[in-house]
Amino acid sequence: MAALGSALAVFLATVLAVGAAKWAGDVLNPVTLTIPERVPFAGGIPPDYHAWNRFHIRWYTMALLFLAFDMEMVFMYPWAVVFIREGLVSLVEMMMFILILLVGIVYTWRERGFSWA
Amino acid sequence: MARARVFVGLKETLGRLARSGPIPVFAVTAADAINAVRDLGLRREVEIVATPRHASVLLVAGRFGEGPIAGLSQIHDQLPLPRLTVRWNGEVLAEIPQARLVAGDVVELVDRLLALDAEILAGALASESPLLPDVDAVEWRGVGPYGHGGSGMTGGTPFGRPLADRAPDRDGLELDQLPVSVGPWVGALPAGLELHVKLQGDLIQGVEVGPKVAVMAPVDAFVRALDVPTPVKLLEVERARHHLRWLADVLVVHGLSALGLWALRLAHDLSPSDRSEVERLLSAVRKSGVIKLVVGRIRGGVVSPGVVGTGPIGRAAGSGDDARLDDQSYQELQFQPVIGETGDTAARWNQRMAEVVQSLDLAARAEERTAFGSGCVEGPRGLIVSKQPPASASLLEVLPTLLTGLEWGDAVSVVWSLDLDAFATSVVLLPSGTET
Amino acid sequence: MNALASVVFVALVLLVATYLVAVIDATIMIRVSRGRGYTGVWMDPIARAARLMMQRGSRTERPDLQVWFLAPALLAGLGAVALASIPVAAAVHVADNGAGIVLFGAAMLQVMVAVFLHGWAANSVFPMLGAFRMAAAGMSMSIPFSLALITTALPAESLSVGAIIVSQEGLWNVVRQPLGLPVYLITALAFSFWGPMQLPDAADLAGGTTAEISGVALLVWRVARIGVLVALSAMGAAAFLGGYLGPVLPGWLWMMVKTAGLATVMVWSGHHFARMRIESVVFLGWTLLLPIALVDVFLSGALTL
Repeated sequence: MAALGSALAVFLATVLAVGAAKWAGDVLNPVTLTIPERVPFAGGIPPDYHAWNRFHIRWYTMALLFLAFDMEMVFMYPWAVVFIREGLVSLVEMMMFILILLVGIVYTWRERGFSWA
Repeated sequence: MARARVFVGLKETLGRLARSGPIPVFAVTAADAINAVRDLGLRREVEIVATPRHASVLLVAGRFGEGPIAGLSQIHDQLPLPRLTVRWNGEVLAEIPQARLVAGDVVELVDRLLALDAEILAGALASESPLLPDVDAVEWRGVGPYGHGGSGMTGGTPFGRPLADRAPDRDGLELDQLPVSVGPWVGALPAGLELHVKLQGDLIQGVEVGPKVAVMAPVDAFVRALDVPTPVKLLEVERARHHLRWLADVLVVHGLSALGLWALRLAHDLSPSDRSEVERLLSAVRKSGVIKLVVGRIRGGVVSPGVVGTGPIGRAAGSGDDARLDDQSYQELQFQPVIGETGDTAARWNQRMAEVVQSLDLAARAEERTAFGSGCVEGPRGLIVSKQPPASASLLEVLPTLLTGLEWGDAVSVVWSLDLDAFATSVVLLPSGTET
Repeated sequence: MNALASVVFVALVLLVATYLVAVIDATIMIRVSRGRGYTGVWMDPIARAARLMMQRGSRTERPDLQVWFLAPALLAGLGAVALASIPVAAAVHVADNGAGIVLFGAAMLQVMVAVFLHGWAANSVFPMLGAFRMAAAGMSMSIPFSLALITTALPAESLSVGAIIVSQEGLWNVVRQPLGLPVYLITALAFSFWGPMQLPDAADLAGGTTAEISGVALLVWRVARIGVLVALSAMGAAAFLGGYLGPVLPGWLWMMVKTAGLATVMVWSGHHFARMRIESVVFLGWTLLLPIALVDVFLSGALTL
């Protein structure tokens, strides 16, 4: 627990320190910009539209597959710890689990979910 | 008081430390200064950057045509302070009258840049103020966080710039399509090329080529060879240098900036005896996987010989046209053009790489022969005939069909593999007094 | 270590290691590009940092300002936490708890979020394209990444990095599980978006997520990114190369040498391999790296029993 406390302290300290560094940078060189200085760069011509749009995520099927494998990862973490103790049975069980998920990869591959252009 | 002194002392130290490193420069180059700016990039005191936000100096190099240069004032304002504009080898800019004029070669430019940079970092020289008026191009109306608005989204009047509207995609769905103008001076595209792109996600749905930037045409060895018979050795070394410089640019775009710098160093003072080092470079390029694994996997980007029949692009597609076949000196050297098959991006890369080696070989064997001089020349981009537009001008017309449907990175690879000359070059007088 | 000592330790290690990796990068760049007589490699990173500190920050018209400020800080924090979960010597560790691999994996997967936020914040086309590329690449590479690390936990019967190092006293994991380190290194390149996996800040996007960033913010982003590379190299050294184990030299020196070695391999590959297409990265992650990582898991499992 103390270890996690240290990790949290490191994380927060770094985030705050970096934030402070950027704030100090803005104090050293105050950012007062005219509107033309704030136009997004795309080669010299100002844009006509906001860049934020509903990006067509063609790889959303891959994202679903990622979710499935992420849930598998959740189970593999504790499996790794008890693996030697449980022996061959646990290996075979995990293999069966993975093989079912591999069918998902084969399906996505065949449905061209990995190549979207 | 003491705090202010510490502050000033800190800035001085930072300034002195900064001077020992490279000066980031954003370059806006005309056709006749592209090679000079590449040579500038070889110097360790200067770093040519991809976006004006990373730059301290805006370098406007070469001779442009009449009128304001497209996008220049906007780019000038996009440089962060402390900023400076330097005009190299050209006339005073109407839109940036306070630009420092420098004439001469790379050495003089670097000296001047170092001096100006030292002054600006020390605070002795004031940074340039913004050029464009501080007026919102699209007025901000009403309360709406982050500029939201637009028809169909919240159903109200747009605040500031509108959001992207919808358009059908290839599956018949109505999805957001973002029209964006990728302007003439972005490192992702060759200098001077302006594309109006309709992006759906990162796929290009439509392309229009924008107006060309007017520049004064460069007079290089190939243009001179239209009139005057030129030594074969000179022509072939210049051809190899052109292809190596193209290779340097295209390697940087594909993430191999170290190999690109090596190609540029080789091209800087190339001679036929450098052939073994060039071959080492080319084998390193092949081993990096850029041809087989990156550009070779692009689906599309095929330019058929009917579109461009001459030059490396035509030869990569299987067309055997080469004006060197009709020249007696080349016939004596038993010149046979390298001919590719497929005409796609990988074929164009292989074509130019093979032509570099072939040119060095020809130059080594050429001795004192001269070639051309009768009105048509085989230039590095294709056939050059006096008083006619270059053959590669038709490439800009075919870009829309070529790029539609490609993902952005693939489209950039295809555009760079074409070795475009995107400028509108005006009439130039040859040294002999004839027009071209 | 207590909280204050941890913070100081991690900060020092990250700053020094970042500087050294920048020097290694410049040296390899000069050697590959056949530059001659260049003596500035040691001062160069400091000079560039000083120049960026003197440069004013930029803004775009309608950015997402909170996210603009958060993203580089988040990236730095994630690199620091990841480094904190790796023990440096036998009794010297910052946060080596019972589930170090999970903490490290969680931190590294959030890198994808930090890069996406960095690209989204500017409301500009090139950064946004870079952000979405990183999202796709990160998702594709994260499963092989976690699998490679889990495989090293099998012989150790524990998810703690310290236990994994101790379990290598007989034989290093790079020998016992030869498929693990190559898969780990490729996915590490993706998470630190370096070299062939430099997708979000690519040259064909005019700098990508950094296209609208200047000044201190740009410096912080670049330093944080190298920090992530250092953390990934340190974990590779710990999980595959035996960490602080080694004959003559003290543990922390071995750790430094091994981390530097892996970092050099990754930086070297950055200068020798072209940037991959995003489609190829997704395809590679799912159809090549994932099966290899699974074979690695089961083979090592069978051999460990």
